[in-house]
Amino acid sequence: MTARRAGLATIASLCVLALSGVGIRAQLQVPDFKSNRPTPRMANGKPDFSGYWKGTTDTKPVGNIGKDLPGWKLPLTPAGEAALKHNLTATIDPESLCIIGGIPRHNASGLPFEVLQGNNKIAFLYWYSYFRLIPIDPNRKHSDDPDPSFFGEELGRWEGDTLVIDSIGFKEEKVWIDENANPHSDALHVVERWTRPDADHIHVDTLIEDPKFYTKPFTYSRTWVLGKPDEEIQEYACSENNVDAAHLGFGPGPIRPDGTRGYIDPAPLPPPLPRK
Amino acid sequence: MKRMLLVVAAVALAAARLLAHHSFAAEFDASKAIRVTGTLTKVEWTNPHIYFYLDAKDEQGKVVQWTCESAAPGALSRRGFKRGDLKLGDTIVVDGYRAKNGANLVDARRVTLPDGRIVSGGSAGDGGPQ
Repeated sequence: MTARRAGLATIASLCVLALSGVGIRAQLQVPDFKSNRPTPRMANGKPDFSGYWKGTTDTKPVGNIGKDLPGWKLPLTPAGEAALKHNLTATIDPESLCIIGGIPRHNASGLPFEVLQGNNKIAFLYWYSYFRLIPIDPNRKHSDDPDPSFFGEELGRWEGDTLVIDSIGFKEEKVWIDENANPHSDALHVVERWTRPDADHIHVDTLIEDPKFYTKPFTYSRTWVLGKPDEEIQEYACSENNVDAAHLGFGPGPIRPDGTRGYIDPAPLPPPLPRK
Repeated sequence: MKRMLLVVAAVALAAARLLAHHSFAAEFDASKAIRVTGTLTKVEWTNPHIYFYLDAKDEQGKVVQWTCESAAPGALSRRGFKRGDLKLGDTIVVDGYRAKNGANLVDARRVTLPDGRIVSGGSAGDGGPQ
């Protein structure tokens, strides 16, 4: 195929996409597809998770940690219910105040992320210029009393081709577990099981245990697709000019029946001006 | 061909809407859709949002300043909306939603430049009207 024909084919496919009525919101994430490219591997034979990863359109509702639960209903304890009410009515989204989202929130985010992997460490790079660096060492044990942090004390180990990240030692204040303001406590224990079934997909099953705020453990699962070779995380200085912080209300605002954030029936904008 | 390129540009614009710094509904009132037409007095091409400031006349003819919030510089640049598109002294038309707290702050979801070009200014994934 010549470059011109390839270009026209690209334009045509983009037009089909545009004319098919796919909304802007749906295109925040990319369509999933089957891949016949094998899982890339490190020199040590383990899967290589390195790449720029983008969410898929079937991840709904994005930003809701209860995505995989019936009716998105989280098994909150009474203390968890009180914490949720507090988050909704008395806290501003910590991420909008440039506080690290942490785990598991970043796994539920609509934002892409990037992974760089070595033999003994793996780095997850996030928009907002945040990162987490996880040792891969089956012999490391959790500390008796780790300093609380937003990503927790994270330990990585291999179980076959699955990278398991076990995390404890989380903060309890200034954290939302997702973008809908659901809570977690300092008793949070997260076990992520990461796989790369082929070259174009990465998947995680995130087990969330928090006996203070949730009556039972639950799982959040998610698949991302590989970005283009030239896509990568860019600088994003969250605190550079956070004018909006002074205008933000408590909580995320209304939650729609489909588990997403926002108003059901917004007023229409004034009609566009006629083009010159 | 020109029309086709416009469609392609629109798709590229949509695909580039990546960053949501906060929920739309945490800051703006979706029942308060407004149009602000004013003279550009200042531009802050910064993260986590760009801001530009318009002097606009109110219903009594008094000039008031409006703060216009848009997406992050990276997201806007990928849509083809560049810092150089905003020139001090220009008349800009902003269609968007007013802040819930009543401030003269608008979520600039649609920006019409002096040459008639319309650019999307909203933050993606924020749950706001599309």
